[in-house]
Amino acid sequence: MNLQSLINGLLLGGVYACVGIGFSLVWGVANVINLTHGALIMLGAYVTFWAFRLGGIDPFLAIPLAMASMAVIGYAIQRFLVNYVVKIGVFMTLILTFGLQLVLIDSALFAFTGDYRSVTPSYAGAGFDLGGAVIPYIRIGIFAVGLLLTWLLHLFMTYTKTGNAIRATALNKEAAQLVGVNIGHIYAVTFALGAALAGAAGAMLSTLYAVTPVMGNPMLGKAFVIACLGGLGNMWGSLVGGLVLGLAETAGAGLIGPSFQQAISFGLLVLILAIRPEGIVGKKFFAEVKT
Amino acid sequence: MSRRSPFAVRGSPDGVRGAVGPPVLLAVIGVVVALLFPAVATGYWIRVVSNIFMYGAMAQSLNIMAGFTGYADFGNTVFFGLGAYGTALLTSKAGLPVVPAVVLGALVGVVLASLMGLPLLRLRGHYFAIATIGVLEAAREIIANVPFFGGGMGITLPISTGAPEAFYGFIYYVLFAVIMAYIGITWWLSRSKFGYALRAIKADEEAAAVMGIHTTRYKIRAWRLSAFCTGIVGGIYAYWLNFIEPPIVFDIMISIKVWLIMLLGGAGTILGPLFGAIILEMLQAVIWGQFLRGHMLILGAVIVLVVIFMPAGFMDLVRKRFSLRAVLADLRANKI
Repeated sequence: MNLQSLINGLLLGGVYACVGIGFSLVWGVANVINLTHGALIMLGAYVTFWAFRLGGIDPFLAIPLAMASMAVIGYAIQRFLVNYVVKIGVFMTLILTFGLQLVLIDSALFAFTGDYRSVTPSYAGAGFDLGGAVIPYIRIGIFAVGLLLTWLLHLFMTYTKTGNAIRATALNKEAAQLVGVNIGHIYAVTFALGAALAGAAGAMLSTLYAVTPVMGNPMLGKAFVIACLGGLGNMWGSLVGGLVLGLAETAGAGLIGPSFQQAISFGLLVLILAIRPEGIVGKKFFAEVKT
Repeated sequence: MSRRSPFAVRGSPDGVRGAVGPPVLLAVIGVVVALLFPAVATGYWIRVVSNIFMYGAMAQSLNIMAGFTGYADFGNTVFFGLGAYGTALLTSKAGLPVVPAVVLGALVGVVLASLMGLPLLRLRGHYFAIATIGVLEAAREIIANVPFFGGGMGITLPISTGAPEAFYGFIYYVLFAVIMAYIGITWWLSRSKFGYALRAIKADEEAAAVMGIHTTRYKIRAWRLSAFCTGIVGGIYAYWLNFIEPPIVFDIMISIKVWLIMLLGGAGTILGPLFGAIILEMLQAVIWGQFLRGHMLILGAVIVLVVIFMPAGFMDLVRKRFSLRAVLADLRANKI
């Protein structure tokens, strides 16, 4: 593998990390397989697109806006819908969020039409040269933001009271309740965090890919792979999972052929699950399987 | 696990008995209506009801694995796709007649289930679900990229002889026979030693092992049975449509739809999958017919409402005798 494809793989991994981390968080903590994750990414991308189109706001500066609006939607989804079925079992939340993502995507189709939109800041397509390899500014920016968000999330989970409550809930729901944690609220906050991260991912993806109502669908499949690679609910694991997936896809495309990219990522997923179900860097006790 | 969990084991999996008047009479009426239906209905409705039978049969196959054994197979469509591809390849390239081709095609899935059983059935809950999704997606990509399987172009089956009306009527009766057979298999499961072993595994796998159930062996057998039943439907589907391609028969949306049907009807029940298929297909026929735009929005909203208000499925609603008070009490009890 040459330098260019190594760098491409790493930078692609940065994008994937942003996509996977929120999904993994919600799954690991609230035991919800959030199929609206792709739709939330799509809505985040639309927030960025309209901020850019109407207000001339730079897509990277629109990230907080996309995150805040998705956090509100995410909190409402968990508090007023998912909390009613979360106790019944993980597969009911899966069907519920599937229905919800149909609603979100079809609403977006109504509101924004199916037209392909793009966010084109002045630096789109520009990059710098590093030992013969071209590094696009946008991809390196996304990589940096992905690292920053992972670090901020880590700080939040480690040093704030809410973050500790979330971690306590992930480890043992009943025990957390006994020490006074309001599970309903904590689940909603977790979902809001996951949605905010999806919004951030959407904001950044809008600079790379066309913005359409169905743009989130392929990202949902990637999110599954990344979450399982990294270990459910594991923040730094998602970063590792994103990088591994990015590198594996780039390497596979170079070695076997680009059409096998999907087969590689899903083959990798099955392999990891068969050998190390707790993920590459996951610990066994974290986010135990709860049905 | 709460008492109302769709994955909990109930005392009797056959919740209908006693809940609906004389069930035998109703069943006989249902079968007679289904048998006479093609004589009076238009082609469109024959197609809708054929779809009900097909998806009901798929949900019944999934029920063996997910409803009885408690293993969440989200990739069961892989057996559907392999059955369809096996049938297509054997009839178009090997020139085999349809019936042996369908059976052999389904056996391809059984072989895959046997191979995957040992590494994947060790996984529980989510992890098993995701692994099966991975297998499905990888299988689709591999088949789409290997020229021998027709690649992205798909495969055309030999055109069936005879008038279209007769052919579609024939498919209708075949699918009806299949779902009746699967209901019979599920009924047998609900009272055989094999079925009890599977439900013991779902309730508590360690306890089942302690009680002397060879859990791995039983789980693999259940998966083979589920794979075979799904594969048969896949083969019939390929014969019905005459043309298949990877994105159609390995579509994750088929898995989601079959799951929805099973949960709508009631997981682990005998007639649930059939009722689930009737509800969903009828809803779709009505919504698709009425709303050219926005039908996904309405379908999505219906799914959300159904999951919140009847999480244990239609059969549970029958057990509650359609009492609104019981539904709302459950809703409050489930909220966190």
